[in-house]
Amino acid sequence: MEDFLIEMAEILEEDSVRESDELNGFESWDSLAALSVIAMADEKFGVNATAQDLKGAETVGDLYALIQAKNAA
Amino acid sequence: MLVTGAGSGIGRSTALLLHQLGARLSVVDRDEAGLAALCADLNATNDNGAVTAHVADLANLDAIPDLVTQCVDANGLLHSVVHCAGIQAIMPLRTLQIESWRKIFAVNTEAGLVLAKAMSNRKVYAGDDGAIVFISSVMAQAGSVGAIAYSMSKAALEGIARSLSLELAPRRIRVNCIAPGFVRTPLFEQTEKLWDDAARKAVENLHPLGFGRPEDVANAVAFLIADTGRWITGSTLVVDGGYLAR
Repeated sequence: MEDFLIEMAEILEEDSVRESDELNGFESWDSLAALSVIAMADEKFGVNATAQDLKGAETVGDLYALIQAKNAA
Repeated sequence: MLVTGAGSGIGRSTALLLHQLGARLSVVDRDEAGLAALCADLNATNDNGAVTAHVADLANLDAIPDLVTQCVDANGLLHSVVHCAGIQAIMPLRTLQIESWRKIFAVNTEAGLVLAKAMSNRKVYAGDDGAIVFISSVMAQAGSVGAIAYSMSKAALEGIARSLSLELAPRRIRVNCIAPGFVRTPLFEQTEKLWDDAARKAVENLHPLGFGRPEDVANAVAFLIADTGRWITGSTLVVDGGYLAR
């Protein structure tokens, strides 16, 4: 989780982010950030996610849960 | 002839076609299973020319001269090199890491230059009508979100080819690039997995003739290597289903 939060902070151009943070509350949460999450999930976690998958996520923690769920699948 | 990235995609199709045309081949890939499958197919088709397979990761640039020597020892002096090996990772600027883009640059670009240097050596080069083909990309000339490192690597490859062509013309070695659009290969499928249906359709629509097949590029490689390309050097042949025509 800690590694994921560090990655997310970089993607969202913040010093740090928390699991409970709302994605829409970040100025940098845009299509490029979503693309970065997809690339990060693939590179760091070996998970193939699509932009469609990300649409349901509201918080940083939701993205982590999504990656974990796909990883377990 | 030496073909890199021969374990899959464009490299594999190129190796199959060149072999069919009678070339003696050294095939290189980091994927041992891919090479084994290629060799099985090559041996099944015909016995036109000898084939030797070499498992190597071209990111290790220092090992390339020895690799080329092994190819020569196994299969004779080289007439041509086709550098198809390539890697790509979608990396938007905000997540772009120096280490990641250098890995892409090493395999896609620098390995091609090291191969050209090794191949053009008098002890390695077969001596006449040689050819080097680098597989570039439409991304050398057109941008795409998340493809900064890949674009850089391919644009540099085209720059290398132009100057190399001038240096190697006296040795009768022609140097050219092929710039494919999106071709259905394992590398492409890796990228495609990241798209939803709308994104996939949008990319396909950039190609008036649709996505390409590896053989479309292999045919262009054969054309450039053979006598059909005898007066072509320092150029980039665009094989992209119309991607760059817009």
